[in-house]
Amino acid sequence: MVNALAPETTERVHSPRDAGSTGPAVDGRRRTRPRRRQAVVAYLFLTPTLLFFAVFLILPLGFALLLSMSRWAGFDLGDIDPVGLDNFADLFVDGSTFLTPILTNTLLFALGTVALALAGSVLVATCIDKLRFQGLWRTLYFLPIVTTVVAIGNVWKYMYEPGGLVNGVLNALGLGSVGFLQDPDTALPSVVVVQAWASVGTAILILTAGLKSIPESYYEAAALDGAGPVTVFWKITLPLLRPSLLFVCITQFITGLQSFALIIVMTKGGPGDATNVAALEMYRQAFSYGDWGTASAAAFVLFLVVLVVTLVQLWIFRRKGEDT
Amino acid sequence: MTSSHRIGGLSRRHFALALTSALLPPALLASGCAAPYQGTGRPGDPIVLTLLSHYASGALKEALQRPVDEWNATHDRVKVRTKAVEFTDLLTTFMVRQAAGQGADILHPYCLWNGQLVQAGVLRPAPSEHAEEIRRGYGGAAVGASSVGGRIYGYPTEVQTYALYYNKRLLREAGFERPPGTWRELEEAAYRTAQRDRYGNTLVQGFGLSTYDDSTTVGQTLALLNAAGGTFVSADGRSTAIDSPAGRAVFDLEHRLVVKGASAPGVNVYKAFQSGRVAMVVSAGWWTGSLKTEMGNAYRDVGVAPLPVPEADGRRATLSTGFMLGVNTASEHPREAWEFLRWLNTGKVSVKSAKKGATATRMSSLQVSVGSLTGRAEDMRTLLSEGSDPNLRPFLDALEYAVPEPNVAGAQQAKSLLRKNIEALWTGQQSVDESLRTIRRQVDQEVSRSW
Repeated sequence: MVNALAPETTERVHSPRDAGSTGPAVDGRRRTRPRRRQAVVAYLFLTPTLLFFAVFLILPLGFALLLSMSRWAGFDLGDIDPVGLDNFADLFVDGSTFLTPILTNTLLFALGTVALALAGSVLVATCIDKLRFQGLWRTLYFLPIVTTVVAIGNVWKYMYEPGGLVNGVLNALGLGSVGFLQDPDTALPSVVVVQAWASVGTAILILTAGLKSIPESYYEAAALDGAGPVTVFWKITLPLLRPSLLFVCITQFITGLQSFALIIVMTKGGPGDATNVAALEMYRQAFSYGDWGTASAAAFVLFLVVLVVTLVQLWIFRRKGEDT
Repeated sequence: MTSSHRIGGLSRRHFALALTSALLPPALLASGCAAPYQGTGRPGDPIVLTLLSHYASGALKEALQRPVDEWNATHDRVKVRTKAVEFTDLLTTFMVRQAAGQGADILHPYCLWNGQLVQAGVLRPAPSEHAEEIRRGYGGAAVGASSVGGRIYGYPTEVQTYALYYNKRLLREAGFERPPGTWRELEEAAYRTAQRDRYGNTLVQGFGLSTYDDSTTVGQTLALLNAAGGTFVSADGRSTAIDSPAGRAVFDLEHRLVVKGASAPGVNVYKAFQSGRVAMVVSAGWWTGSLKTEMGNAYRDVGVAPLPVPEADGRRATLSTGFMLGVNTASEHPREAWEFLRWLNTGKVSVKSAKKGATATRMSSLQVSVGSLTGRAEDMRTLLSEGSDPNLRPFLDALEYAVPEPNVAGAQQAKSLLRKNIEALWTGQQSVDESLRTIRRQVDQEVSRSW
């Protein structure tokens, strides 16, 4: 059997000597056969991955689409009851909490997290870039990433408690206590701060890499022109950091929109629905209430939201001349 | 073989086989849904029944394992194997395992989920002879909790009733020698015992309201609702009945307690009561066991009284919640499973701590050994006769008049909606009227949709 991967095979086909000696028809056949063989081999190599995607992505996706238009309690496949678009309609019916506050909370949570994490990471990454022992600082800021969400959530939960560390500091400053996670007005922002703090490490890592890729000559030229640090930051650093910022922005936003673990640990979506988000609601609908139809419909709505938000972000950055 | 029959060295037949092998697991998963574990299946081998419970750790796990070991030692043909998860994961585990074909033969669900599980076709109705035995041996609340649409689905196990826990020292210091019997007395005691520092931090809650879990948030509200003569769900289970004078009275009471500073919903009452920072709280009987263990000598300050009623001459009522042991519809050995449940729940054994010749069921003995109760009042009286904790007595008495938690289809979701709106009321997001209106709209929509 011919070794289809052997490099000489390809070279032989494209060899001018072979082409000249056999004429166009034979040349075409010779060229096509190995290519076809290569394609078959390529597909064979791709088969495990394609099967993996088929079993763990396409199949569940199709099943979720079927469920989103059915009523199913989650046990017997024979009990799937088609209901058309009723589940989608139920999500947005008058009195449903899915649009407000759940979807609103989801967007606010993601937006708040991205804004805080991005601002914080740009600031910290820029500072770290000017310090000695940069690896140490990056490691320190990266530590929350390697800590489990459950641990982070619980530690912050205790810090936010009425008699906790944060209120202790406020009291020491002569200020009254705040019910951070108990007050519906402060609960969501309080969790946003924790999510931003926990995700800032990854952003710093990416941004410091972005900063390293900015040629030093730009800064030297700016220094010769007498530009101050603020001008250098706004006119050189930030514009040239845009590809890294785009990546951080999109990935953090998607993570924020899908956030679940931190909220279930810190507030369980409460008080009331003050911190309830789409992913948590989906989990409850499916696994607590046995309403897989509504959960799947909510999942597709969230998917659309993520898609639209990502496309909008890409469009904004492209308008500013940045391509992914 | 020609090259057209080969794909990169694989024959079409082999390729098809490989493809089938890759796709087979999900297909098997789909076709094998809801098929519980059945042992080896070889003729002559013992039948292995699996029992999935939330008695996952410590005393509870040991308590359940004792009778199971006894059964296994005395029965050759049918063996029982226990599997356990924490209560918070129990419903999720039922759902996932059942869907994956790993459902247990015997399930130990919280009765609130029964409507949902029956609707999904997971629970098998009790055979008539077992149903008759259950009806005869248990109190009304326990039988009601184990029934859906008037049909019994299992043997009631743990039954919890709600009563008023109070800190004797805090009440005494505020000038009260006995626990409150009416809502007016309860409010008065709550306001007089509450304390805050100058920063607004709660030092002592007069009446504990906590958003920590359903037991406190929803359980105590429903207990007070029942005490006021109201119910959460209408008799036919198709709408909520909370928007009633009784419901309004409970919401008004809780709202006043929060607004006037006697309650701090942000504080975890389970911890605060243990450390003597809550004067009164409504909770279920299971808590006595934990309090005794956690509080040590300070437990002598803990008292339990029947739930206060709105008026002194009012009829007593409170909430009861429960668990039951039922059989999976997918079990291939339902007869053996029911037989084991009968042995566990009706077969009597002697009680060492009681007078000579006294007997109780294995399940009742098991429950009392972990500081809990069952719906078998007769057993409980035997088991709690001498030297037992007097704080358990009000819970036992409450079995006579407790109202079972509604377990209609969609009950878990209705409870969650109720909880969210109660929290919104406590945190000032909604007024009493808005809360009642929203609960009615949301719960009605949910329970009517579930049919």
